[in-house]
Amino acid sequence: MTGRRPSLEERLPLPALGVWRVLFWTYDRTTIPYDLMVIAILAFVWLTPPDWLGDPTAHGLGLLGWFVGR
Amino acid sequence: MTITSAIGAIFMFPIGAIIRLCVALRIHPNVLTFVGVCINLAAAWALGVGSFVLAGAIMVAANLFDFIDGKVAHLSGTASEFGGFWDSVMDRFSDLALFLGLVYLYASLQRADYVLVTALAMTFTVLTSYTRARAESLIDKCKVGFMERPERIVLFMIGAFTNRMAAVLWVILVLSVLTVAGRIFHTWRELEGRKVAA
Repeated sequence: MTGRRPSLEERLPLPALGVWRVLFWTYDRTTIPYDLMVIAILAFVWLTPPDWLGDPTAHGLGLLGWFVGR
Repeated sequence: MTITSAIGAIFMFPIGAIIRLCVALRIHPNVLTFVGVCINLAAAWALGVGSFVLAGAIMVAANLFDFIDGKVAHLSGTASEFGGFWDSVMDRFSDLALFLGLVYLYASLQRADYVLVTALAMTFTVLTSYTRARAESLIDKCKVGFMERPERIVLFMIGAFTNRMAAVLWVILVLSVLTVAGRIFHTWRELEGRKVAA
């Protein structure tokens, strides 16, 4: 038998494949995965409290603090 | 239609008019590229003194020039190999200027930790474009990885306008590292594939 060895992507189980696709990004712009990535990035940028990151130019809990009323 | 394509379509209306105006005025695209870089230096200065909103506004103007130069070159029939080279080199210069502005700011605030984060993000930004340029001298295409220049510039603007530059720098750093690693892996896999096929 001289079958082709399956690629890494073909051997990964579904959850691991999802992580792999994010780490090894091959999607074009203006696709659904691209939009989801943009939403995730904006959520991180705007929701992570500046204090958690030790931001030198911003302080407090940011939007997250506003949501939880602090 | 995706969210990002809808946003792109909205912004293309005014940009299309500016492109047509530049073509009508016969402005050479290489001049547009150079003007964009000069304006970006002003944005770098604004970042350096901590005027983030001003820096964001200047970045919008600078990157408008940067965005339209290629389109003007195409429409006016002045596209050239040197123009592509000039554009790429000036893009790197603009990128580095913005990072250096932040390095200066964090150094003046005595924040060695963020000087390091910014320097690392700057290093991997340069490696992002270098890995692709070098890879495409060996293989056909190496367009993998999320964090390319347009994403970086939009993130810089978001960080500047909303004063979330620290979070933006972390995003740029982490995704640039992944982009560089992805490009190295992709190039290795393509070259290994060639060996097997031979």
